[in-house]
Amino acid sequence: MLQHLVSGFAAALTPAYLAYALVGCTLGTLIGVLPGLGPAAGTAILIPLTFKLDPTGAIIMLSAIYYGAMYGGTITSVLINVPGEAASVITCIDGHQMARQGRAGTALGIAAIGSFVGGMVATIALVLVAPPLARLALSFGPPEFFALMLFGLCLVSGLAGRSMLAALLMTVLGLLLAMIGIDPVRGAPRFAFDIPDLYDGIGFIAVVMGLFGISEILLAAEAPVGEVVRARLSSLLPSREEWRRSVGAILRGTGIGFALGLIPGIGAIVPTFMAYIAEKRLSKTPERFGKGAIEGVAAPESANNAYANAAMIPFLTLGIPSSPTIAVLMGAFIINGITPGPFLFQERPDLVWTVIASFFIGNVILLALNLPLVGLWAKLLHLPFPYLCAGVLLFCVVGAYSLQQSIFDVWVMIAFGIIGYVFRKLDLPLAPLVLGLILGPAIEKSMRTSLEMSAGDYSIFFTRPLCLGLLIAAAAVLAGAALKLAPSVLREPQL
Amino acid sequence: MKRPLARVAVAAAALLAAAGAIAQADDFPSRPVQLMVAYPPGGSTDVGARVVAAIAEKILGKPMVVVNKAGAGGQVGWTDMARQRPDGYFIGYVNLPATNTVVLDPERKAIFGIDAFVPIINQVLDPGLVWVRADSPYKTLKDLVDAAKKAPNTIRTATTGILSDDHLAILMLEEAAPGAVFRIVHLEGGAAQLKEIMGGHVDVAFDNVGSVAPRVRSGELRGLAVMDPQRSKFVPDVPTTKEAGYPSVISNSTRGIAAPKGTPQPVLKKLEAALRKAMEDPEHVQKMDAAGLALKIMVGEEYARYYRETHAQAKKYTEWAKNRPHK
Repeated sequence: MLQHLVSGFAAALTPAYLAYALVGCTLGTLIGVLPGLGPAAGTAILIPLTFKLDPTGAIIMLSAIYYGAMYGGTITSVLINVPGEAASVITCIDGHQMARQGRAGTALGIAAIGSFVGGMVATIALVLVAPPLARLALSFGPPEFFALMLFGLCLVSGLAGRSMLAALLMTVLGLLLAMIGIDPVRGAPRFAFDIPDLYDGIGFIAVVMGLFGISEILLAAEAPVGEVVRARLSSLLPSREEWRRSVGAILRGTGIGFALGLIPGIGAIVPTFMAYIAEKRLSKTPERFGKGAIEGVAAPESANNAYANAAMIPFLTLGIPSSPTIAVLMGAFIINGITPGPFLFQERPDLVWTVIASFFIGNVILLALNLPLVGLWAKLLHLPFPYLCAGVLLFCVVGAYSLQQSIFDVWVMIAFGIIGYVFRKLDLPLAPLVLGLILGPAIEKSMRTSLEMSAGDYSIFFTRPLCLGLLIAAAAVLAGAALKLAPSVLREPQL
Repeated sequence: MKRPLARVAVAAAALLAAAGAIAQADDFPSRPVQLMVAYPPGGSTDVGARVVAAIAEKILGKPMVVVNKAGAGGQVGWTDMARQRPDGYFIGYVNLPATNTVVLDPERKAIFGIDAFVPIINQVLDPGLVWVRADSPYKTLKDLVDAAKKAPNTIRTATTGILSDDHLAILMLEEAAPGAVFRIVHLEGGAAQLKEIMGGHVDVAFDNVGSVAPRVRSGELRGLAVMDPQRSKFVPDVPTTKEAGYPSVISNSTRGIAAPKGTPQPVLKKLEAALRKAMEDPEHVQKMDAAGLALKIMVGEEYARYYRETHAQAKKYTEWAKNRPHK
């Protein structure tokens, strides 16, 4: 196997394939930076570009675009509080706060490093243990999925700031918003009020762009100008103290991202939320989170690149796409006459190992590409504030429109911008709303599919060991949160 | 506005806009055309769309962008297409009989009828395929049917969507084999079926040849029957339903391109010509072959007739699906 890897490297290091990886990383980062244009759509658009390339080259480029996009979204999250795509939402919370303290460069730098570590570890694991791990992950059927997503929802208590009630309220609001649209199993419209634009749901990206980005602009419009501190070059690197704290965050984030990447269908945003919440819970000083804690950037960023690379494992070894973007990749494979799956390793070892080698190379390229640019990006914040705000607004409007070429998404974004502004004034946390919005459909779909599998018998959730285990874990998390609340409830009878 | 220059500018802009609207039919396309696929990316409709779009855009001279609008078995995408302006810049795939069943199911409250779309050209006719994991106890279609009769409503049978051609095919099989009852599980798309079958969470899948042909050929999966009068060249070792003893079970999914009703005839003709040329292009034929998708180009009256006939057949099975005791 080592011999295969070595020959894979030899092939991947040829100028042509190196160039494809470089182009892919660059395009991917750009796609990630542009809000609205998600990695799935971006990758799909670029497929015809690869028709002229040989299959190996095409796959190298498309894969590079894929994990490049994972990094790109971070840039706008940190700089202007606009999530470039779903996976970058949670980075906004601490990342943007760091930028306001003049530490944008540090945030972006640690994100680049965390992404690199996450990606490398996941790729090494791909080489060493891919097939058995992938088979293990297959045991996640719809009931297990349901339990896992429910567990994720229960973790929302970890996102609560001072008020648990506020966090829960926002979660429920998120779940409610997730109900809008066509019922995923029977097909009847819900809460759409006969507005066809709502049949597809409320448009997640437009909502988060509004909640985070537009609300930020509205808040800035009323705050005095000149808040952003000018940063000296030396503070572009994390302090020793911050390095120390980041190491643990990066390792844990990588672990979480990797584990979840193996399970097809999870989606990039879940590992980032879980990594963030885990860091916050494990920290001795959780109050720093939300105010510019470096772990709040390091953990999710490592998680999302580890996830992106790990998601290639079920894809390459079993031919199962984990996410819409990978499904697009699979389409590209098929068009090029390659069927990913267990036989691919045997039939085309040259192709597979070259592609795997290029994953390593791509991660290095990403780091080399983005670290030096960090200083440049950070300087963007030194633009005169009014122009910066106007630019961001334009950027967001174009991005929202580009989602589905519909002005409706722009209205949604603006509406949620105002709503987000109000929520932030009222000190209501936004992250739980996003969590509810994301997990709601996943929970509902997997529950209903599970019940179809069992012909309506609810015991399916309790007779499968993995599912039961996750449900117990979810209950434990809830119990733990309730216990923490208990002292204050007992002291003050009215909550 | 006080300054005459400003007024002239406004007037000129208005004239240009009007001229642009009139010029549309003649110099179509003057901007990119969107080709909608009502399913998630990576599926067989999507693959076919991307191949034809890449070639057709060269013929049309403007980009043809594939847009995925998945959800509710395709209803989300078709609802969207029915509302689009009929100017030729938004066309999309209709998947028969899926589109028919969405219209026919009253619970779906579809806001469009089957006449909301004007068929342009059919691309693929993908026969239905029943498949299982290679280590499954069912070696033939008869094994499966016998098991379904012995233990009704226990065999977890996956479709790619509610009231999809796969769903109707299961009902056809139940009709041809009275006493056999399958426990139907609706998944979203072929990739989900692959995942759940490989993980052992469902027992058998009804899908189409194009989705899994390479894997059946390689032996990773086992095809039980092809629901077509003839064997498929992509899975030559899989018997037809006729050979397996159930000749009435004929099911397929056709993927064709249609435009919203009201699209001007000249625009439709241009699209038909460009798409047909693209589909007959050797690169298209070769790539579709590699992907396991059987081409069946139909245009004009042939396609329109097929469209109407499929609708009538779908009506029968949709009504049955709604009245079935086990949903």
